[in-house]
Amino acid sequence: MSEERPAARGAAPEPRAEGGAGSLLRANAVLRSIFRTGWPRSRQQRLAAMLSSLVLHVHPTRVRVSVLRPSYTLGLGLISFFLFVVLTVTGLVLMLYYVPHTQAAYRSMKDLQYAVAFGMFLRNAHRWAAHAMVAVVFLHMCRVFFTGAYLRPREFNWVVGVGLLLLTLALSFTGYLLPWDQLAYWAITVGTSIVAYFPLLGPQVRYLLLGGHEIGQAALLRFYVLHCIVLPLAMAGLVALHFWRVRKDGGLSAAPHASQRRVTAWPHLVLRELLVLVLVVAAVNALALLFDAPLEEIADATRTPNPAKAPWYFLGLQELVHYGALLGGVVVPTALVLALVVLPYLDTRPRGVGVWFARERWLANAVFAAVALALVAVTVIGTFFRGPNWAWVLPWTR
Amino acid sequence: MRPGTAAPAGPGTPSRRRFVSIAGTAGLAAGALGILAALARSVVPEVFYEPARRFPVGRPADFPPGSVTLVSERRLFVFNTPEGFYCVSAVCTHLGCNVNHEEGKGFACPCHGSTFGEDGSVSKGPAAWPLPRFAIGLSRRGELVVDTRRTVAASFRLKA
Repeated sequence: MSEERPAARGAAPEPRAEGGAGSLLRANAVLRSIFRTGWPRSRQQRLAAMLSSLVLHVHPTRVRVSVLRPSYTLGLGLISFFLFVVLTVTGLVLMLYYVPHTQAAYRSMKDLQYAVAFGMFLRNAHRWAAHAMVAVVFLHMCRVFFTGAYLRPREFNWVVGVGLLLLTLALSFTGYLLPWDQLAYWAITVGTSIVAYFPLLGPQVRYLLLGGHEIGQAALLRFYVLHCIVLPLAMAGLVALHFWRVRKDGGLSAAPHASQRRVTAWPHLVLRELLVLVLVVAAVNALALLFDAPLEEIADATRTPNPAKAPWYFLGLQELVHYGALLGGVVVPTALVLALVVLPYLDTRPRGVGVWFARERWLANAVFAAVALALVAVTVIGTFFRGPNWAWVLPWTR
Repeated sequence: MRPGTAAPAGPGTPSRRRFVSIAGTAGLAAGALGILAALARSVVPEVFYEPARRFPVGRPADFPPGSVTLVSERRLFVFNTPEGFYCVSAVCTHLGCNVNHEEGKGFACPCHGSTFGEDGSVSKGPAAWPLPRFAIGLSRRGELVVDTRRTVAASFRLKA
Protein backbone atom coordinates (compact mmCIF):
# COMPACT_ATOMS: atom_id res chain seq x y z
CA MET A 1 0.00 0.00 0.00
CA SER A 2 1.12 3.54 -0.68
CA GLU A 3 1.16 4.61 2.96
CA GLU A 4 3.97 2.11 3.63
CA ARG A 5 6.34 3.94 1.35
CA PRO A 6 7.26 7.04 3.38
CA ALA A 7 8.39 4.82 6.23
CA ALA A 8 10.55 2.78 3.86
CA ARG A 9 12.13 5.95 2.55
CA GLY A 10 13.22 6.79 6.07
CA ALA A 11 12.80 10.13 7.78
CA ALA A 12 11.54 12.04 4.71
CA PRO A 13 8.30 13.72 5.87
CA GLU A 14 5.06 13.23 3.94
CA PRO A 15 4.65 16.05 1.43
CA ARG A 16 1.53 18.07 2.27
CA ALA A 17 1.10 19.80 -1.05
CA GLU A 18 -2.30 18.32 -1.91
CA GLY A 19 -4.35 19.66 1.02
CA GLY A 20 -8.00 18.80 1.71
CA ALA A 21 -9.49 15.56 2.88
CA GLY A 22 -6.88 13.45 1.10
CA SER A 23 -3.90 14.72 3.03
CA LEU A 24 -5.85 14.74 6.29
CA LEU A 25 -6.62 11.08 5.75
CA ARG A 26 -3.03 10.24 5.05
CA ALA A 27 -1.78 12.17 8.04
CA ASN A 28 -4.16 10.88 10.68
CA ALA A 29 -3.69 7.32 11.94
CA VAL A 30 -7.15 7.28 13.53
CA LEU A 31 -8.90 8.35 10.34
CA ARG A 32 -6.80 5.84 8.41
CA SER A 33 -7.93 3.07 10.76
CA ILE A 34 -11.55 3.89 9.88
CA PHE A 35 -11.24 4.61 6.15
CA ARG A 36 -8.62 2.09 5.04
CA THR A 37 -8.50 2.99 1.38
CA GLY A 38 -7.89 6.69 1.80
CA TRP A 39 -9.68 9.40 -0.17
CA PRO A 40 -10.68 7.77 -3.48
CA ARG A 41 -8.50 9.29 -6.17
CA SER A 42 -7.29 6.62 -8.47
CA ARG A 43 -9.67 4.28 -10.22
CA GLN A 44 -8.50 1.46 -7.96
CA GLN A 45 -9.18 3.51 -4.84
CA ARG A 46 -12.64 4.37 -6.14
CA LEU A 47 -13.49 0.71 -6.54
CA ALA A 48 -11.96 -0.12 -3.15
CA ALA A 49 -13.86 2.71 -1.45
CA MET A 50 -17.19 1.18 -2.46
CA LEU A 51 -16.16 -2.27 -1.25
CA SER A 52 -14.61 -1.28 2.05
CA SER A 53 -17.49 0.78 3.46
CA LEU A 54 -20.46 -0.86 5.19
CA VAL A 55 -22.80 1.84 3.91
CA LEU A 56 -21.42 2.08 0.39
CA HIS A 57 -20.92 -1.63 -0.28
CA VAL A 58 -24.66 -1.99 -0.81
CA HIS A 59 -23.85 -0.39 -4.16
CA PRO A 60 -21.96 -1.98 -7.02
CA THR A 61 -18.44 -0.68 -7.67
CA ARG A 62 -19.39 0.33 -11.19
CA VAL A 63 -22.78 1.26 -12.63
CA ARG A 64 -24.16 1.40 -16.15
CA VAL A 65 -24.61 4.96 -17.31
CA SER A 66 -28.04 4.02 -18.65
CA VAL A 67 -29.47 3.55 -15.13
CA LEU A 68 -27.99 6.81 -13.87
CA ARG A 69 -30.27 8.83 -16.13
CA PRO A 70 -32.79 10.59 -13.86
CA SER A 71 -35.42 10.30 -16.60
CA TYR A 72 -35.29 6.51 -16.35
CA THR A 73 -35.86 5.84 -12.61
CA LEU A 74 -36.96 9.35 -11.59
CA GLY A 75 -35.11 8.43 -8.39
CA LEU A 76 -38.41 7.35 -6.86
CA GLY A 77 -37.10 4.32 -4.97
CA LEU A 78 -34.30 6.37 -3.50
CA ILE A 79 -36.70 9.18 -2.57
CA SER A 80 -38.92 6.65 -0.78
CA PHE A 81 -35.91 5.39 1.17
CA PHE A 82 -34.74 8.86 2.15
CA LEU A 83 -38.28 9.78 3.23
CA PHE A 84 -38.19 6.70 5.45
CA VAL A 85 -34.91 7.96 6.92
CA VAL A 86 -36.40 11.42 7.51
CA LEU A 87 -39.44 9.80 9.15
CA THR A 88 -37.22 7.66 11.40
CA VAL A 89 -35.19 10.65 12.57
CA THR A 90 -38.13 13.01 13.13
CA GLY A 91 -40.16 10.15 14.64
CA LEU A 92 -37.46 9.38 17.18
CA VAL A 93 -37.43 12.98 18.41
CA LEU A 94 -41.25 13.09 18.52
CA MET A 95 -41.16 9.94 20.68
CA LEU A 96 -39.33 11.90 23.39
CA TYR A 97 -42.46 14.01 23.91
CA TYR A 98 -45.36 11.83 22.88
CA VAL A 99 -47.17 9.82 25.57
CA PRO A 100 -49.43 7.02 24.25
CA HIS A 101 -52.17 7.46 26.81
CA THR A 102 -55.70 8.68 26.12
CA GLN A 103 -55.38 11.25 28.93
CA ALA A 104 -51.99 12.53 27.75
CA ALA A 105 -51.68 11.99 24.00
CA TYR A 106 -53.62 15.06 22.90
CA ARG A 107 -51.85 17.23 25.48
CA SER A 108 -48.46 16.07 24.21
CA MET A 109 -49.53 17.19 20.73
CA LYS A 110 -50.30 20.62 22.17
CA ASP A 111 -46.91 20.61 23.91
CA LEU A 112 -45.24 19.79 20.61
CA GLN A 113 -47.09 22.61 18.91
CA TYR A 114 -46.65 25.31 21.51
CA ALA A 115 -43.88 24.43 23.99
CA VAL A 116 -41.25 22.17 22.44
CA ALA A 117 -38.53 24.03 20.52
CA PHE A 118 -39.23 23.43 16.82
CA GLY A 119 -41.93 20.96 17.90
CA MET A 120 -44.43 22.17 15.30
CA PHE A 121 -41.76 21.97 12.64
CA LEU A 122 -40.92 18.38 13.64
CA ARG A 123 -44.56 17.37 13.59
CA ASN A 124 -45.11 19.02 10.21
CA ALA A 125 -42.01 17.36 8.73
CA HIS A 126 -43.09 13.95 10.02
CA ARG A 127 -46.61 14.33 8.71
CA TRP A 128 -45.77 15.62 5.25
CA ALA A 129 -42.93 13.13 4.80
CA ALA A 130 -45.38 10.33 5.69
CA HIS A 131 -47.96 11.52 3.17
CA ALA A 132 -45.24 11.97 0.57
CA MET A 133 -43.90 8.49 1.20
CA VAL A 134 -47.29 6.89 0.46
CA ALA A 135 -47.47 8.81 -2.80
CA VAL A 136 -43.84 8.24 -3.83
CA VAL A 137 -43.92 4.50 -3.09
CA PHE A 138 -47.03 4.26 -5.27
CA LEU A 139 -45.32 6.23 -8.05
CA HIS A 140 -42.22 4.04 -7.72
CA MET A 141 -44.41 0.99 -8.30
CA CYS A 142 -45.89 2.64 -11.40
CA ARG A 143 -42.37 3.43 -12.68
CA VAL A 144 -41.23 -0.16 -12.20
CA PHE A 145 -44.30 -1.43 -14.00
CA PHE A 146 -44.18 0.96 -16.95
CA THR A 147 -40.50 0.17 -17.53
CA GLY A 148 -41.12 -3.59 -17.30
CA ALA A 149 -38.59 -3.80 -14.49
CA TYR A 150 -40.71 -6.30 -12.52
CA LEU A 151 -40.26 -9.02 -15.14
CA ARG A 152 -37.91 -11.99 -14.83
CA PRO A 153 -35.48 -12.15 -13.05
CA ARG A 154 -36.92 -9.46 -10.78
CA GLU A 155 -40.31 -11.09 -10.05
CA PHE A 156 -39.57 -11.77 -6.41
CA ASN A 157 -38.25 -8.29 -5.73
CA TRP A 158 -41.51 -6.91 -7.13
CA VAL A 159 -43.37 -9.02 -4.57
CA VAL A 160 -41.08 -7.64 -1.84
CA GLY A 161 -41.97 -4.19 -3.15
CA VAL A 162 -45.70 -4.95 -2.84
CA GLY A 163 -44.97 -5.88 0.79
CA LEU A 164 -43.19 -2.54 1.25
CA LEU A 165 -46.19 -0.68 -0.19
CA LEU A 166 -48.51 -2.43 2.26
CA LEU A 167 -46.10 -1.71 5.14
CA THR A 168 -45.99 1.95 4.13
CA LEU A 169 -49.79 2.12 4.23
CA ALA A 170 -49.87 0.30 7.59
CA LEU A 171 -47.26 2.65 9.06
CA SER A 172 -49.13 5.71 7.90
CA PHE A 173 -52.45 4.34 9.12
CA THR A 174 -51.19 3.40 12.61
CA GLY A 175 -49.56 6.82 12.96
CA TYR A 176 -52.83 8.52 12.04
CA LEU A 177 -54.49 7.60 15.37
CA LEU A 178 -51.71 8.87 17.63
CA PRO A 179 -52.62 12.62 17.83
CA TRP A 180 -55.90 11.50 19.46
CA ASP A 181 -57.95 14.30 17.94
CA GLN A 182 -61.31 14.08 16.19
CA LEU A 183 -59.63 13.66 12.80
CA ALA A 184 -57.57 10.72 14.10
CA TYR A 185 -60.35 9.08 16.07
CA TRP A 186 -62.95 9.02 13.33
CA ALA A 187 -60.54 8.21 10.52
CA ILE A 188 -59.44 5.14 12.47
CA THR A 189 -63.07 4.33 13.33
CA VAL A 190 -63.90 4.30 9.65
CA GLY A 191 -60.64 2.55 8.69
CA THR A 192 -60.90 -0.27 11.22
CA SER A 193 -64.57 -0.70 10.31
CA ILE A 194 -63.49 -1.32 6.72
CA VAL A 195 -61.11 -3.99 8.09
CA ALA A 196 -64.04 -5.65 9.84
CA TYR A 197 -65.80 -6.18 6.51
CA PHE A 198 -63.30 -8.84 5.58
CA PRO A 199 -65.13 -12.16 5.87
CA LEU A 200 -64.29 -14.52 8.76
CA LEU A 201 -61.01 -12.88 9.79
CA GLY A 202 -62.06 -9.22 9.58
CA PRO A 203 -63.84 -8.80 12.95
CA GLN A 204 -61.09 -10.81 14.70
CA VAL A 205 -58.32 -8.73 13.14
CA ARG A 206 -60.12 -5.54 14.18
CA TYR A 207 -60.54 -6.90 17.71
CA LEU A 208 -56.82 -7.76 17.96
CA LEU A 209 -55.81 -4.45 16.40
CA LEU A 210 -57.92 -2.48 18.87
CA GLY A 211 -57.19 -4.77 21.80
CA GLY A 212 -60.88 -4.54 22.64
CA HIS A 213 -64.25 -3.64 21.22
CA GLU A 214 -63.79 0.06 20.67
CA ILE A 215 -61.02 2.58 20.11
CA GLY A 216 -59.64 3.33 23.56
CA GLN A 217 -56.46 3.04 25.61
CA ALA A 218 -55.66 -0.48 24.40
CA ALA A 219 -56.04 0.55 20.75
CA LEU A 220 -53.87 3.64 21.22
CA LEU A 221 -51.07 1.61 22.82
CA ARG A 222 -51.24 -1.11 20.16
CA PHE A 223 -51.15 1.42 17.34
CA TYR A 224 -48.22 3.13 19.06
CA VAL A 225 -46.20 -0.08 19.40
CA LEU A 226 -46.99 -1.08 15.83
CA HIS A 227 -46.13 2.38 14.55
CA CYS A 228 -42.89 2.90 16.48
CA ILE A 229 -41.40 -0.59 16.73
CA VAL A 230 -43.03 -3.49 14.89
CA LEU A 231 -43.69 -1.91 11.51
CA PRO A 232 -40.47 0.18 11.24
CA LEU A 233 -38.37 -2.93 12.05
CA ALA A 234 -40.29 -4.96 9.49
CA MET A 235 -39.82 -2.10 7.03
CA ALA A 236 -36.06 -1.91 7.66
CA GLY A 237 -35.71 -5.67 7.15
CA LEU A 238 -37.76 -5.68 3.97
CA VAL A 239 -35.92 -2.61 2.62
CA ALA A 240 -32.62 -4.45 3.17
CA LEU A 241 -33.98 -7.47 1.31
CA HIS A 242 -35.27 -5.20 -1.48
CA PHE A 243 -31.86 -3.51 -1.94
CA TRP A 244 -29.95 -6.78 -1.71
CA ARG A 245 -32.18 -8.34 -4.35
CA VAL A 246 -31.62 -5.39 -6.67
CA ARG A 247 -27.95 -6.38 -6.68
CA LYS A 248 -28.57 -10.14 -6.81
CA ASP A 249 -31.04 -9.75 -9.69
CA GLY A 250 -28.41 -8.04 -11.80
CA GLY A 251 -28.71 -4.40 -10.78
CA LEU A 252 -31.31 -1.94 -11.99
CA SER A 253 -33.10 -3.01 -15.14
CA ALA A 254 -31.82 -1.69 -18.44
CA ALA A 255 -32.80 -2.18 -22.05
CA PRO A 256 -30.67 -4.71 -24.00
CA HIS A 257 -29.79 -2.01 -26.52
CA ALA A 258 -28.88 0.54 -23.86
CA SER A 259 -25.28 1.63 -23.55
CA GLN A 260 -23.13 -0.94 -21.78
CA ARG A 261 -20.70 1.75 -20.67
CA ARG A 262 -20.04 1.71 -16.96
CA VAL A 263 -18.63 4.35 -14.67
CA THR A 264 -17.30 3.97 -11.16
CA ALA A 265 -20.00 4.29 -8.52
CA TRP A 266 -17.68 6.71 -6.66
CA PRO A 267 -18.34 9.50 -7.36
CA HIS A 268 -20.95 9.19 -10.12
CA LEU A 269 -23.61 7.24 -8.19
CA VAL A 270 -22.72 8.38 -4.68
CA LEU A 271 -22.92 12.09 -5.55
CA ARG A 272 -26.25 11.64 -7.35
CA GLU A 273 -27.66 9.87 -4.31
CA LEU A 274 -26.38 12.63 -2.09
CA LEU A 275 -28.09 15.15 -4.34
CA VAL A 276 -31.40 13.26 -4.04
CA LEU A 277 -31.01 13.22 -0.25
CA VAL A 278 -30.42 16.97 -0.20
CA LEU A 279 -33.45 17.56 -2.43
CA VAL A 280 -35.68 15.32 -0.28
CA VAL A 281 -34.61 17.02 2.94
CA ALA A 282 -35.03 20.44 1.36
CA ALA A 283 -38.51 19.59 0.07
CA VAL A 284 -39.67 18.21 3.44
CA ASN A 285 -38.23 21.31 5.15
CA ALA A 286 -40.06 23.59 2.78
CA LEU A 287 -43.37 21.76 3.27
CA ALA A 288 -42.92 21.76 7.05
CA LEU A 289 -42.24 25.49 7.08
CA LEU A 290 -45.13 26.36 4.77
CA PHE A 291 -47.94 24.08 5.95
CA ASP A 292 -49.00 23.11 9.46
CA ALA A 293 -50.19 19.59 10.25
CA PRO A 294 -53.86 19.59 11.23
CA LEU A 295 -54.97 19.11 14.82
CA GLU A 296 -58.68 19.19 15.61
CA GLU A 297 -60.42 19.03 18.98
CA ILE A 298 -59.70 16.12 21.29
CA ALA A 299 -61.20 12.75 20.30
CA ASP A 300 -64.85 12.42 21.30
CA ALA A 301 -66.68 9.15 20.72
CA THR A 302 -70.06 10.80 21.21
CA ARG A 303 -69.69 13.36 18.44
CA THR A 304 -69.23 12.17 14.87
CA PRO A 305 -67.93 14.84 12.50
CA ASN A 306 -69.84 15.05 9.26
CA PRO A 307 -68.49 13.65 7.01
CA ALA A 308 -66.14 11.25 8.77
CA LYS A 309 -63.31 10.31 6.44
CA ALA A 310 -60.51 7.75 6.50
CA PRO A 311 -56.92 8.92 5.73
CA TRP A 312 -56.78 10.14 2.13
CA TYR A 313 -55.01 7.06 0.75
CA PHE A 314 -57.95 4.93 1.95
CA LEU A 315 -60.62 7.32 0.66
CA GLY A 316 -60.70 5.41 -2.62
CA LEU A 317 -61.63 2.31 -0.67
CA GLN A 318 -64.12 4.30 1.41
CA GLU A 319 -65.71 5.61 -1.78
CA LEU A 320 -66.06 2.02 -2.99
CA VAL A 321 -67.39 0.90 0.41
CA HIS A 322 -70.08 3.53 -0.13
CA TYR A 323 -71.31 1.59 -3.16
CA GLY A 324 -71.09 -1.75 -1.40
CA ALA A 325 -69.29 -3.05 1.64
CA LEU A 326 -68.26 -6.30 0.00
CA LEU A 327 -66.99 -4.52 -3.12
CA GLY A 328 -64.89 -1.85 -1.44
CA GLY A 329 -63.92 -3.63 1.74
CA VAL A 330 -63.11 -7.06 0.38
CA VAL A 331 -63.27 -7.69 -3.34
CA VAL A 332 -61.33 -4.72 -4.68
CA PRO A 333 -58.43 -4.59 -2.16
CA THR A 334 -57.96 -8.37 -2.19
CA ALA A 335 -58.07 -8.53 -5.96
CA LEU A 336 -55.62 -5.63 -6.29
CA VAL A 337 -53.02 -7.10 -3.91
CA LEU A 338 -53.37 -10.61 -5.36
CA ALA A 339 -53.07 -9.27 -8.89
CA LEU A 340 -49.93 -7.32 -7.97
CA VAL A 341 -48.33 -10.41 -6.40
CA VAL A 342 -49.06 -12.87 -9.22
CA LEU A 343 -48.53 -10.37 -12.02
CA PRO A 344 -44.79 -10.98 -12.61
CA TYR A 345 -45.36 -14.74 -12.60
CA LEU A 346 -48.08 -14.56 -15.23
CA ASP A 347 -46.08 -12.44 -17.64
CA THR A 348 -43.25 -14.89 -18.25
CA ARG A 349 -41.68 -13.39 -21.37
CA PRO A 350 -39.54 -10.43 -20.42
CA ARG A 351 -40.07 -8.06 -23.34
CA GLY A 352 -39.62 -4.33 -23.43
CA VAL A 353 -37.62 -4.30 -20.19
CA GLY A 354 -35.82 -1.06 -19.43
CA VAL A 355 -37.95 1.13 -21.69
CA TRP A 356 -40.76 3.43 -20.60
CA PHE A 357 -44.08 2.39 -22.16
CA ALA A 358 -42.50 -0.21 -24.45
CA ARG A 359 -44.60 -0.83 -27.54
CA GLU A 360 -44.50 -4.61 -27.06
CA ARG A 361 -46.03 -4.20 -23.62
CA TRP A 362 -48.86 -1.84 -24.61
CA LEU A 363 -51.63 -4.11 -23.35
CA ALA A 364 -50.09 -4.70 -19.89
CA ASN A 365 -49.26 -1.00 -19.58
CA ALA A 366 -52.75 0.04 -20.66
CA VAL A 367 -54.44 -2.27 -18.14
CA PHE A 368 -52.13 -1.16 -15.32
CA ALA A 369 -52.58 2.51 -16.20
CA ALA A 370 -56.37 2.08 -16.29
CA VAL A 371 -56.44 0.43 -12.85
CA ALA A 372 -54.01 2.97 -11.36
CA LEU A 373 -56.00 5.89 -12.80
CA ALA A 374 -59.27 4.39 -11.53
CA LEU A 375 -57.74 4.13 -8.06
CA VAL A 376 -56.53 7.72 -8.23
CA ALA A 377 -59.96 8.82 -9.51
CA VAL A 378 -61.96 7.23 -6.66
CA THR A 379 -59.43 8.63 -4.18
CA VAL A 380 -59.86 12.13 -5.61
CA ILE A 381 -63.66 11.75 -5.52
CA GLY A 382 -63.57 10.53 -1.91
CA THR A 383 -61.22 13.33 -0.89
CA PHE A 384 -62.62 16.37 -2.66
CA PHE A 385 -66.08 15.56 -3.97
CA ARG A 386 -67.73 14.10 -0.87
CA GLY A 387 -69.32 16.32 1.73
CA PRO A 388 -71.73 15.83 4.63
CA ASN A 389 -73.66 12.55 4.52
CA TRP A 390 -71.17 11.48 1.82
CA ALA A 391 -73.26 13.51 -0.60
CA TRP A 392 -71.73 14.71 -3.86
CA VAL A 393 -70.26 18.22 -3.55
CA LEU A 394 -68.12 20.30 -5.85
CA PRO A 395 -64.97 21.32 -3.97
CA TRP A 396 -65.03 24.88 -5.35
CA THR A 397 -68.60 25.53 -4.12
CA ARG A 398 -67.73 24.85 -0.47
CA MET B 1 -32.05 -54.84 21.28
CA ARG B 2 -30.04 -57.96 20.50
CA PRO B 3 -28.07 -57.91 17.29
CA GLY B 4 -29.90 -60.92 15.90
CA THR B 5 -33.35 -59.34 16.15
CA ALA B 6 -32.55 -56.01 14.47
CA ALA B 7 -34.18 -55.52 11.11
CA PRO B 8 -31.61 -54.99 8.35
CA ALA B 9 -31.08 -51.26 7.98
CA GLY B 10 -31.24 -50.05 4.39
CA PRO B 11 -32.96 -47.48 2.25
CA GLY B 12 -36.63 -47.37 3.10
CA THR B 13 -36.19 -49.25 6.36
CA PRO B 14 -36.53 -46.97 9.36
CA SER B 15 -33.31 -47.27 11.27
CA ARG B 16 -32.78 -46.07 14.82
CA ARG B 17 -30.86 -43.04 13.56
CA ARG B 18 -33.72 -42.10 11.26
CA PHE B 19 -36.23 -42.48 14.06
CA VAL B 20 -34.21 -40.29 16.41
CA SER B 21 -33.77 -37.67 13.71
CA ILE B 22 -37.49 -37.54 12.90
CA ALA B 23 -38.52 -37.58 16.55
CA GLY B 24 -35.95 -34.89 17.37
CA THR B 25 -37.06 -32.62 14.52
CA ALA B 26 -40.72 -33.14 15.39
CA GLY B 27 -40.00 -32.38 19.05
CA LEU B 28 -38.17 -29.17 18.23
CA ALA B 29 -40.88 -28.12 15.78
CA ALA B 30 -43.58 -28.81 18.36
CA GLY B 31 -41.68 -26.79 20.96
CA ALA B 32 -41.18 -23.88 18.58
CA LEU B 33 -44.84 -23.96 17.57
CA GLY B 34 -45.84 -24.02 21.22
CA ILE B 35 -43.77 -20.95 21.99
CA LEU B 36 -45.13 -19.12 18.94
CA ALA B 37 -48.70 -20.09 19.86
CA ALA B 38 -48.17 -18.81 23.41
CA LEU B 39 -46.77 -15.52 22.06
CA ALA B 40 -49.66 -15.16 19.62
CA ARG B 41 -52.17 -15.96 22.35
CA SER B 42 -50.76 -13.27 24.62
CA VAL B 43 -51.69 -10.68 22.00
CA VAL B 44 -55.38 -11.48 22.57
CA PRO B 45 -56.60 -9.04 25.22
CA GLU B 46 -57.87 -10.43 28.54
CA VAL B 47 -58.36 -7.21 30.47
CA PHE B 48 -60.37 -4.39 28.97
CA TYR B 49 -59.64 -0.82 29.94
CA GLU B 50 -62.84 0.29 28.35
CA PRO B 51 -66.32 1.05 29.62
CA ALA B 52 -68.23 -1.97 30.90
CA ARG B 53 -70.42 -3.54 28.27
CA ARG B 54 -73.25 -4.10 30.75
CA PHE B 55 -74.26 -0.91 32.50
CA PRO B 56 -77.22 0.95 34.03
CA VAL B 57 -78.70 3.77 31.94
CA GLY B 58 -81.12 5.22 34.51
CA ARG B 59 -84.46 4.59 36.20
CA PRO B 60 -87.53 3.81 34.09
CA ALA B 61 -89.06 7.07 35.29
CA ASP B 62 -86.17 8.98 33.62
CA PHE B 63 -87.60 7.93 30.25
CA PRO B 64 -91.06 9.48 29.73
CA PRO B 65 -93.68 7.27 28.02
CA GLY B 66 -93.51 7.51 24.25
CA SER B 67 -90.01 9.02 24.27
CA VAL B 68 -86.80 8.17 22.45
CA THR B 69 -83.71 9.05 24.49
CA LEU B 70 -80.15 9.19 23.19
CA VAL B 71 -77.65 8.01 25.80
CA SER B 72 -74.75 9.66 23.99
CA GLU B 73 -71.86 8.45 26.17
CA ARG B 74 -73.09 4.87 25.62
CA ARG B 75 -73.93 5.41 21.97
CA LEU B 76 -77.47 3.97 22.11
CA PHE B 77 -81.14 4.95 22.12
CA VAL B 78 -83.68 3.91 24.77
CA PHE B 79 -87.29 3.70 23.56
CA ASN B 80 -90.19 3.77 25.97
CA THR B 81 -93.28 2.58 24.11
CA PRO B 82 -96.70 1.52 25.39
CA GLU B 83 -95.60 -2.11 24.89
CA GLY B 84 -92.44 -1.61 26.96
CA PHE B 85 -88.78 -0.54 26.78
CA TYR B 86 -86.26 -1.45 24.13
CA CYS B 87 -82.77 -0.32 23.23
CA VAL B 88 -81.31 0.38 19.76
CA SER B 89 -77.60 0.89 19.00
CA ALA B 90 -76.60 4.36 17.81
CA VAL B 91 -73.53 3.00 16.00
CA CYS B 92 -74.04 2.79 12.25
CA THR B 93 -73.45 -0.76 11.00
CA HIS B 94 -71.72 0.64 7.92
CA LEU B 95 -68.52 2.24 9.25
CA GLY B 96 -69.16 2.98 12.89
CA CYS B 97 -70.36 6.60 12.96
CA ASN B 98 -73.10 7.73 15.36
CA VAL B 99 -76.57 7.87 13.77
CA ASN B 100 -79.06 10.64 14.53
CA HIS B 101 -82.71 9.97 15.33
CA GLU B 102 -85.50 11.90 13.67
CA GLU B 103 -88.84 11.49 15.37
CA GLY B 104 -91.14 9.23 13.35
CA LYS B 105 -88.69 9.01 10.45
CA GLY B 106 -86.04 6.70 11.85
CA PHE B 107 -82.26 7.04 11.94
CA ALA B 108 -79.82 8.78 9.60
CA CYS B 109 -76.05 8.38 9.52
CA PRO B 110 -74.12 11.64 8.91
CA CYS B 111 -71.08 9.92 7.44
CA HIS B 112 -72.19 8.00 4.41
CA GLY B 113 -75.90 8.65 4.15
CA SER B 114 -77.33 5.36 5.41
CA THR B 115 -80.87 5.64 6.74
CA PHE B 116 -82.73 3.24 9.00
CA GLY B 117 -86.42 2.92 9.74
CA GLU B 118 -87.91 3.53 13.19
CA ASP B 119 -87.42 -0.19 13.89
CA GLY B 120 -83.71 0.00 12.99
CA SER B 121 -84.01 -1.81 9.66
CA VAL B 122 -82.03 -0.46 6.70
CA SER B 123 -84.14 1.75 4.47
CA LYS B 124 -81.25 3.11 2.39
CA GLY B 125 -77.67 1.87 2.04
CA PRO B 126 -74.69 1.72 2.10
CA ALA B 127 -75.28 0.04 5.46
CA ALA B 128 -76.01 -3.65 4.94
CA TRP B 129 -77.30 -4.64 8.38
CA PRO B 130 -79.99 -3.21 10.69
CA LEU B 131 -79.05 -1.37 13.87
CA PRO B 132 -78.80 -4.06 16.55
CA ARG B 133 -81.17 -4.20 19.55
CA PHE B 134 -79.39 -4.66 22.84
CA ALA B 135 -80.75 -6.68 25.75
CA ILE B 136 -82.29 -4.43 28.37
CA GLY B 137 -83.42 -5.51 31.83
CA LEU B 138 -84.23 -4.22 35.28
CA SER B 139 -81.68 -4.43 38.07
CA ARG B 140 -82.58 -5.18 41.69
CA ARG B 141 -82.01 -1.51 42.41
CA GLY B 142 -84.77 -0.73 39.94
CA GLU B 143 -82.47 0.62 37.20
CA LEU B 144 -82.64 -0.15 33.52
CA VAL B 145 -79.54 -2.16 32.60
CA VAL B 146 -78.31 -2.55 29.02
CA ASP B 147 -76.05 -5.44 27.97
CA THR B 148 -74.36 -4.61 24.66
CA ARG B 149 -72.85 -8.10 24.48
CA ARG B 150 -76.31 -9.54 23.90
CA THR B 151 -78.53 -8.61 20.99
CA VAL B 152 -82.22 -9.43 20.99
CA ALA B 153 -84.98 -9.81 18.41
CA ALA B 154 -86.81 -6.71 17.18
CA SER B 155 -89.95 -7.94 18.95
CA PHE B 156 -88.29 -7.72 22.36
CA ARG B 157 -89.97 -5.36 24.87
CA LEU B 158 -89.26 -4.89 28.55
CA LYS B 159 -92.33 -4.35 30.72
CA ALA B 160 -91.27 -2.15 33.55
